[in-house]
Amino acid sequence: MLPLASSGSKVTPRHHGAGYSDGYPRSKTFDISPHRYQPRSTNPAHRRRTQSLVRIGLVAILFLLVLYTFSRGSSSSSSGGALSVLSLGLLSSGGADFELETVRYHDLSNVQGTARGWEREERILVCVPLRDAEAHLPMFFSHLRNLTYPHHLLDLAFLVSDSKDNTIGVLTESLESIQASEDEAMQFGEISIIEKDFGQVVNQDVESRHGFAAQAGRRKLMARARNWLLSAALRPYHSWVYWRDVDVETAPFTILEDLMRHNKDVIVPNVWRPLPEWLGGEQPYDLNSWQESDTALALADTLDEDAVIVEGYAEYATYRPHLAYLRDPYGDPDVEMELDGVGGVSILAKAKVFRYGVHFPAFSFEKHAETEGFGKMARKLGLSVIGLPHYTIWHAYEPSVDDIKHMELAQEQAEKEKAEKTRKMKESFSDATGQWEKDKVELQNIAAQERKKEKEAAAAAAAAGDAGAAAGRVANGKADPKAAAGRVQEKAVRHEELEGGKT
Amino acid sequence: MARPMGSVRLKKTNPATLAVGVALCIFIIYFLIGPSTSDFSASRKATAAAHHLSPPTSPFRKPTGDKQKPPPVAHYNLNNVTTTPNPLENRENILLLTPMARFYQEYWDNILRLEYPHELITLGFILPRTKEGNDATRELQKRIALTQNQGPEKDRFKSIIILREDIDPPLTSQDEKERHKMENQKARRAAMAKARNSLLYSTLGPATSWILWLDADVVETPPTIIQDLASHDQAITVPNCFQRYWNEEKNEMDERPYDFNNWQDSPTALDLAKKMDPDDILLEGYAEMATFRTLMAYMSRENGRLHEEMPLDGVGGAALLVKADVHRDGAMFPPFAFYNLIETEGFAKMSKRLGWQPVGLPNYKVYHYNE
Repeated sequence: MLPLASSGSKVTPRHHGAGYSDGYPRSKTFDISPHRYQPRSTNPAHRRRTQSLVRIGLVAILFLLVLYTFSRGSSSSSSGGALSVLSLGLLSSGGADFELETVRYHDLSNVQGTARGWEREERILVCVPLRDAEAHLPMFFSHLRNLTYPHHLLDLAFLVSDSKDNTIGVLTESLESIQASEDEAMQFGEISIIEKDFGQVVNQDVESRHGFAAQAGRRKLMARARNWLLSAALRPYHSWVYWRDVDVETAPFTILEDLMRHNKDVIVPNVWRPLPEWLGGEQPYDLNSWQESDTALALADTLDEDAVIVEGYAEYATYRPHLAYLRDPYGDPDVEMELDGVGGVSILAKAKVFRYGVHFPAFSFEKHAETEGFGKMARKLGLSVIGLPHYTIWHAYEPSVDDIKHMELAQEQAEKEKAEKTRKMKESFSDATGQWEKDKVELQNIAAQERKKEKEAAAAAAAAGDAGAAAGRVANGKADPKAAAGRVQEKAVRHEELEGGKT
Repeated sequence: MARPMGSVRLKKTNPATLAVGVALCIFIIYFLIGPSTSDFSASRKATAAAHHLSPPTSPFRKPTGDKQKPPPVAHYNLNNVTTTPNPLENRENILLLTPMARFYQEYWDNILRLEYPHELITLGFILPRTKEGNDATRELQKRIALTQNQGPEKDRFKSIIILREDIDPPLTSQDEKERHKMENQKARRAAMAKARNSLLYSTLGPATSWILWLDADVVETPPTIIQDLASHDQAITVPNCFQRYWNEEKNEMDERPYDFNNWQDSPTALDLAKKMDPDDILLEGYAEMATFRTLMAYMSRENGRLHEEMPLDGVGGAALLVKADVHRDGAMFPPFAFYNLIETEGFAKMSKRLGWQPVGLPNYKVYHYNE
């Protein structure tokens, strides 16, 4: 076999078969016969031909490849281009090389929401409307990190509207660091940051936000913002939607499970806020969670079509039972209460509520707008709307303009008192200095008298000739001022004691 | 002899093998990239989402590795989503929504004929949980697979969402007679409204500019319907829905008005509503309840201007082009009596409460299936 393969067609071994008949090649014979082994160098022409063919092929392929990449680069408007294709093709097979899925199938009866959603891997959409909220974000993210509901089942959606501060920047940074964290249990599901400006006319400071006149317009705008957020973020795989304000200060880490366990269509906790001590320590905050009253219904009938009743203002006395006022700090946190209007600080609702079309009316719906209108609309559809009077979360305290005035007044008062004190102190001290002066004068008088007496005595002594008695009198006179100084010191100490008693 | 030969072979064959190897590599890479790029144009790839947890109006990358990265932080600026009279020029995304109880081949063929770029159209369907619904789903999925996987590139839609209802069907029969019985109407239309809202608010997403509602039994529309209706630049634009039938008197194909839910209010109807319980609904097209409203169905003129407009107070759902802003503001299909109106008619009222005026085009026709 040896020579046959390389010598190719030139070898016809059958004719020389006799030479190998014994099975061994003939040795020690010199024979220029065709069966002789022929080295490869005998067919250089053939090899050169294949080599050149390979080279031509290679060039052709390279040319094709370049052509292909350039045609691809020009056809795609996106940056990509020849370089990325080359590097992706040569370095990694991933990246640009992926398959697209265009069809999605969802059975909505699988995402109805149940009492123990975390066991059934039910996804919650967490909706957070934001406006100039940079200052609150660090607190909000600490709450978010601490939530015990499995993070990968939480989809976060933020709507940033009409913000002048760096809300977007801080938000993006915080979220990206969470998604990049090494602890996989920290990472959330889908995250959407949605920007939309509504042309906010109302200021965001506490007074203009809560002033009566601004309420209807403000609530309608807030409602639009909420609807835009929800409609852009709700997906067919959501079972629940959780609305949460960014400025909640204290809430249980288990709040999602706690609310979900009740298995209601719409459920809200009680919302209070802490106050400085001089204001009573705490206060009901969210007055938008209430039960309908006959008074309010009668009032509603007298108002025109576009009027919006807002709770918590003297202008509309509705006499409704408010969730906030029914709180008992030692009450059972599982106690439920039926509601007609709800507040928006923290709402857990089944996603189907929003799917059926219940939303935050940005118009006057039965004389209500936004979250209160949302509660009313849900009731209209026969859904359950529940509040938990004894399960409380705490809203951050922002001093109102009145509070700030009050605080300024208090500070003025304190300053006045201080000024008074120093004045009094000065007075009593000036008394002391007066005394000192008097004493000084007295002492000087005494000294002068002494000196006079001394002179007289000296004259007398000189006359009498007894020097010893005169020296003793001088020592006596020197001791006198010392005694006066001691008296003054005593007075000052007494004064200080008095001060201490006051403070 | 063996040793030098070995080295000779090494020296001489090396470049050739290398060349062949490189060539092979290039070929392999070429074929690896090849099929996927021929499937979808680059612009489609650019709009694809990186994760399956994403707005359903975009296609997404099929997960390749066994370990998936967490979803990225996605930014959407809704200030940049435009709704202009020239959606084609601004490459605005259309969401075509269809509540479907039966599958009609004519409906699908009509959709495929739409001249608006399909890569900008997302289809959304919602089907009931009945046996009929199952059949329709199967049919629909068959056609979708054909179009999206094997059809020509230009026929393929941007993405498609199929939803199944979570509402128990109030009526077992889709029979036309039974369906239109008056006492059944409120429950039927409330369920219909819930289905529409479910479809809308599960699929809208952050990129949609326009929503085209098209009933599954609308089998013929002008192929330029999206551009034509959008050119009016109205919040809600409604074409006139007709039905083709065999006129036995004339012995020829003829057409007749079909959708009577497009109307302008009348004092009679408003008086009727005032006397009604707030939870009752006022229906159109029933002799028992004459409303004397001005019906768009009868306003069509033989040689009237195609783009003539008329303001409407109630609309039907057969075909309806809506600016996404209207739905985003909260205008939905009330599944309850809203000013004594329900579903699409209630939608018109709610839109008006939000400051959006529906407009009808009496001479612009679409055609309903004839059973």
